[in-house]
Amino acid sequence: MQKRTKIFPKHTAASYQGDVVTAIVNPEELAQKQIFLILVPPANMRQRNIELIKEISTLGYHMVVITTNFPYSVLIKLYSDSGIDLNKVSFIDTVTRNSIGNAENIPRVVRYVNNPANLTDLGIAVTEVLKENAGEKVCILFDSISTMLIYLSSSNISKFIHFVTNKLRLMDISGVFLAAEKGLDPMFVSQLTTFVDRVIDQDNSGG
Amino acid sequence: MTETSGDESECIEAGILENALVLIAVLDKKGRIFEWNHAAENITGYAKADVIGNTNIWKYIYPDKDYRQGLTAKIAEILATKNHFENLETTIKTRSGASRIILWNTKEIQWYGESKAIAVGIDITREKEMDAFGRSIIDNANVLMAVMAPKGKVLLWNKGAELITGYSRDDVVGNSTIWKHLYPDAEYRSTITRQITGIISEQRYFENLVTMIVTKTGERRIISWNTRQIEASGGYNEIAVGRDITEQRHAEEALLAYISEMAMRLKNPVEIIRDNLQEIAALVKEGKLTKEEMVTMLEGQVRNAKQVAANVLEFQKAIAEKNKDIPEAYRSFLSG
Repeated sequence: MQKRTKIFPKHTAASYQGDVVTAIVNPEELAQKQIFLILVPPANMRQRNIELIKEISTLGYHMVVITTNFPYSVLIKLYSDSGIDLNKVSFIDTVTRNSIGNAENIPRVVRYVNNPANLTDLGIAVTEVLKENAGEKVCILFDSISTMLIYLSSSNISKFIHFVTNKLRLMDISGVFLAAEKGLDPMFVSQLTTFVDRVIDQDNSGG
Repeated sequence: MTETSGDESECIEAGILENALVLIAVLDKKGRIFEWNHAAENITGYAKADVIGNTNIWKYIYPDKDYRQGLTAKIAEILATKNHFENLETTIKTRSGASRIILWNTKEIQWYGESKAIAVGIDITREKEMDAFGRSIIDNANVLMAVMAPKGKVLLWNKGAELITGYSRDDVVGNSTIWKHLYPDAEYRSTITRQITGIISEQRYFENLVTMIVTKTGERRIISWNTRQIEASGGYNEIAVGRDITEQRHAEEALLAYISEMAMRLKNPVEIIRDNLQEIAALVKEGKLTKEEMVTMLEGQVRNAKQVAANVLEFQKAIAEKNKDIPEAYRSFLSG
């Protein structure tokens, strides 16, 4: 069991390296396979997603992105435009099949789940994608808890996050959960903080 | 000061006897009545002529043989050790059939040169009724009521207190150990004690002080306390009224959790949809989306919006179900 060093509620990226903001998550903590909850201003959610993927994949991690908002086909364009090596990213897409219905899985690239409320299929997809990438340095990015709240109660999401974080710990994999800051009630945040090692509230970092 | 003659003195005594507001009777050791004042007539309904010179009055006012015999035995027991009795409480039946509670005191006197007893009976029926009424209110109040002497010794513990805490009157009255049972955690008890002492020293009472007690069965209950000081012989006692607000608190917490949940699932998602649409618009402007991707993304936001609308409806229905007082027209509107 990893030692948990939790800073809550406020912890900014800037605090890691003096006044120079160079990292959203601390590479050392990432290397320790820690799990992060990052609270982001809603308007910056996409940008922060891209920055995180870029930052973490540059550190040699294979990123598994669970997307509940933008489809895989759009995200790869945005990532590519930002200079992210797409070979280092695979997706669990809960958006596309909801619209076009018949999207086919592409092994090690994208796995589709019918809709974000289907936690059983989502759980299976997470397990299988992690197995596909077993032996690699993997980091999972869940974008986002806030969108999941449209479809599921906080208690169901909480159980799901618990399931995923347990799986990550058992497989010794780091993870990042994104959520809109000020969008979660204190009780829910408090539950989530028990599952993660560090909460990073970006409210103070100037977005 | 002028001295009164024997005749005058007898006159005064007779006047006092007749005009006294309490029942006064003069009787011998066998219970034969020699004097029966006006108040005695009023209280019992039996006239002087009915009772003087005989012992019939006792059968009249104590018609129940068993009660009368029990009372006679009790009086005999008292008189065996002393020649009078004090504050003996009996229930008499008046001529009209009503019951009255009389508090008796007797004293041996010389009556025209003979040894007799004078019995003074005070009608305490109303006081007793008021006491019983007060006790009934205390006992039937759906709140915990306790009266405490200084240092927490419990003098009164009502049925509400028994029901809420599980501790009976016998467990509690006469000692101060109940507080250790109700607050078994020494640290918490000490905090509460400090809090109470602080408040009392400032204003002599406290209002709506909320504490968590542990009942006899180990259940935790939330109590809102109000106290007042009441004067007692040689000092003050505290009367504490505790209202069990456990269910109310749980309901409030549930409501808060529900409102909070719905806020997360309504306000926040609307902002997400707004931000997503802004991003889609920006991507379209930049020519980064194919028609198919644009449709996929817009449909995604439509789905999100539909789900938010469904969540709103669910919220409205829950409110309508929870609040029975909502007028039917509004209930129908909220239920969609």
